[in-house]
Amino acid sequence: MSSQSKSAGSSVNQQLVYAHGLAAVVMLFVSITFGIIASTELLWPDLGGGSPWLSWGRLRYDHTQGILFGWLGNAFLAFLYHAVPVLTGRSVTSARLGQWLFGLWNFVIVVPGWMLVLAGFSQPLEWAEFPLVIDAFVVLALLLMAVQFLPPFFARGIEDLYVSSWYIIGGLIFTLFAYPMGNFVPELVPGARGAAFSGLWIHDAVGLFVTPLALAIIYFVIPAASRRPIYSHFLSMLGFWLLFFLYPLNGTHHYVFSVIPMSAQIGAITASALLGVDVILVVANLLLSLRGSGWFPRDLPLRFVSTATVFYLLVSIQGSVQAQMSVNQAVHFSDWVIGHSHLAMLGFATFAAAGGIGHAWQRIPWARYNHRAMDWSYWLLFAGLAAMFINLTIAGVVEARLWQSNAPWLDSVRAVRPFWIGRTHSSLLIVAGFIAFFMGLTTGPKGAGLAAVEETVGLDAIDEISPRLSASHEVHGAAS
Amino acid sequence: MNEQRPPRALRMSYLVASIAGVGFFAMSVLLLGVWPGQVLEEQTRVMSPEHPLGLSASERRGREIYSREGCAYCHTQQVRYLHSDMERFGAPTLAWETRFDYPHLWGTRRIGPDLARESGSHPADWHFVHFYAPRSVVADSVMPAYSAMFDGSPDRPKQDARDLVAYLETLGRDRELAGSEGEAHARANCNCDKDEMSQMAFHAPELNANPHKTRRTGSPPALVTGSESRGKDLYARNCASCHGPQGRADGPGAAGLHPPPTNLAEHYYRYDRLSIVLTNGIAGTAMPAWRDFSIADRSALATFVRTLYVPQPEPTLPQNLLDLGARVYKENCAQCHGSTGAGDGTAVSELRIAPSNFRTGRPTLGETLRVLRNGIDGTQMAPWGADTNGRLSEAELSAVAYYVRSLLVVQSSD
Repeated sequence: MSSQSKSAGSSVNQQLVYAHGLAAVVMLFVSITFGIIASTELLWPDLGGGSPWLSWGRLRYDHTQGILFGWLGNAFLAFLYHAVPVLTGRSVTSARLGQWLFGLWNFVIVVPGWMLVLAGFSQPLEWAEFPLVIDAFVVLALLLMAVQFLPPFFARGIEDLYVSSWYIIGGLIFTLFAYPMGNFVPELVPGARGAAFSGLWIHDAVGLFVTPLALAIIYFVIPAASRRPIYSHFLSMLGFWLLFFLYPLNGTHHYVFSVIPMSAQIGAITASALLGVDVILVVANLLLSLRGSGWFPRDLPLRFVSTATVFYLLVSIQGSVQAQMSVNQAVHFSDWVIGHSHLAMLGFATFAAAGGIGHAWQRIPWARYNHRAMDWSYWLLFAGLAAMFINLTIAGVVEARLWQSNAPWLDSVRAVRPFWIGRTHSSLLIVAGFIAFFMGLTTGPKGAGLAAVEETVGLDAIDEISPRLSASHEVHGAAS
Repeated sequence: MNEQRPPRALRMSYLVASIAGVGFFAMSVLLLGVWPGQVLEEQTRVMSPEHPLGLSASERRGREIYSREGCAYCHTQQVRYLHSDMERFGAPTLAWETRFDYPHLWGTRRIGPDLARESGSHPADWHFVHFYAPRSVVADSVMPAYSAMFDGSPDRPKQDARDLVAYLETLGRDRELAGSEGEAHARANCNCDKDEMSQMAFHAPELNANPHKTRRTGSPPALVTGSESRGKDLYARNCASCHGPQGRADGPGAAGLHPPPTNLAEHYYRYDRLSIVLTNGIAGTAMPAWRDFSIADRSALATFVRTLYVPQPEPTLPQNLLDLGARVYKENCAQCHGSTGAGDGTAVSELRIAPSNFRTGRPTLGETLRVLRNGIDGTQMAPWGADTNGRLSEAELSAVAYYVRSLLVVQSSD
């Protein structure tokens, strides 16, 4: 066993982990800069001085596309380069392909996508704002990702897969299917009909790309960093299948009370409620696996992913509730939803991604690692997210109340200004948190990550990862 | 490692599961995409008027600008089947109304109001000023300025601005044009008599419920003396950007408006006149209606607006001068302004903008003469002075100016 896991460790392409990890953080800074300028423009609308390149709409497009592709995409790639060899005992398909994919992802998709949007070439579709020409390269990149990461799983034998592997396979394949639904179909199918497809992708971008890969990280890091097997592999797999069954059926809940047939709306609302139940199941399994590690484990990647687990529960329950008609009719279209999406992307996904990068980083012997900076990063991000979420949620309730009254429209804009000020300020904490995260990865002594692992959980956590993750340890896992 | 290989049946189950996974996804596409799409396509087919207007080249370009600027991320284009939406914006959006939307622009966030019924809600000059400097016509708006679409001033729009405004005029246009026959046709073919929610689309209080949309008729409430300080506050927020802080029509929004805003320092208005204007707006001009303001707020505004008027000495005139004025008025003005000055002449129905009513409001002598000499830009009020086309002599101008100012009917309540 240990000889196999040693070879698995050495087949990790650490250069690609490092490159994608750094690219993720750099792209993150650009993406949040777009977001911060956009949020400040809601306070001082003339900030951009009428320049088209700085107009709110274009910055808003670039903010979310940057977070999805630039930050989370790179972070997931960094994690995959670490996790796939560890999970399968085999190298990814090709290091050369990895270099091409790195270039494609960052310099053909994200950077040109941003520039094109700023120059006025885009699609007015949520989570699909990059123009069609970029979309074509995204599909190509998703195909190449499948080529790069999936063969090791199939070579290993599909009956022996750990749940993270399932999430990786599912995420990569279904994103490839779902992506055209939101990016191409609404260009070909008009109006309400196109919106029905748009709704599928709005939800699938989060449900079939972000969530599976974030859960793959969480399921990977928890046993690897805590040295305890997952509580129940049965629950893991049940959660996995329910997620892939229910998530795509949620789409239409973005258009409740629209002309889209009511039975489709009700189906989506029902699926949304059931999804909450599934998430309770998944999170219960994860939290039970974390018992003994405490709420705030000393190992920071583990702390990031365990908090991501809690955010996942909160944001999913919130999602189930706000999909219900009585809640939806009030809070839909309001800042409440913006708060929800930040809880999802900045809370759940970002904390998981940060944990995934950090975990892989610790295991690169020549990489620097700064435990104190990481600690600061965790608390600053936690505080910033909490402040942002609370401000936006209250703003949403205020808007909802005013919209249901007969107050002039502008009253709802005036009334939320204090909360928008709070939101913009909360982003300062978040920026500080990400600066600390960047310092955590680039300062401190080389190899300090390994030392930190040794200190917090013991050295055997480093090279005994693979067997702990194997599905064949189900019996031990459930028993322990 | 693999000493505990699962039995073959279990291994097969993974294959089954993989097929199931693809099946789940296909099911979601069928149930939430393809099937609703077919229902909506059928609805469009049976409910759409026979010849809906597509978009012109300019309107299509405008739509692309709307798309690239992310307008849909603050303004939805979808009135939901909810009373709160219907009271604010109008009739719920039907499937056929979206048949030309490639891609749809429904949006999922409302920072500004919904625009599905924008057509006919504001005139072009208002839109130009609003795009050039949003806060000069909508106080406290957070909309970005699109001044790059203009050549340095709101009355010099570039092609982009003209296209964008042309596009906004298409939002809800087809449903307006379909008229009552169109509604009846859609309703008959909806096949939804028993579906309470679908019926809501045909039972909205108004097709376009935009509270700022101007209208020519509509019964205004009686306004009474209200709180002057509240009125001052409301005026500063909502009116001063065009009418100017002292009502002298010199606000930043005034420059691009045709006709220009009224100089409130030069006009005395009765309460009932102000109520009509505040409740209905002035159709054909950038003066919106303020129906979303409570009656108390409209009263307060009217009270404050009346304080902006600066009274001037009123000379007593010899009878022969008034007689001359009456004759000139009858010959030249009465067709539009009406024989009694009520703005109800025979030509009124032909005019885009209703002529002034001299019985419920009175301009100062200086303002009257200015208007007679220069006309009013953007309206059919022509210049009448000797230096323009020589239609009226100086003596006749003065006489008719005095005459129209004598038409005011003072109410005891004022």
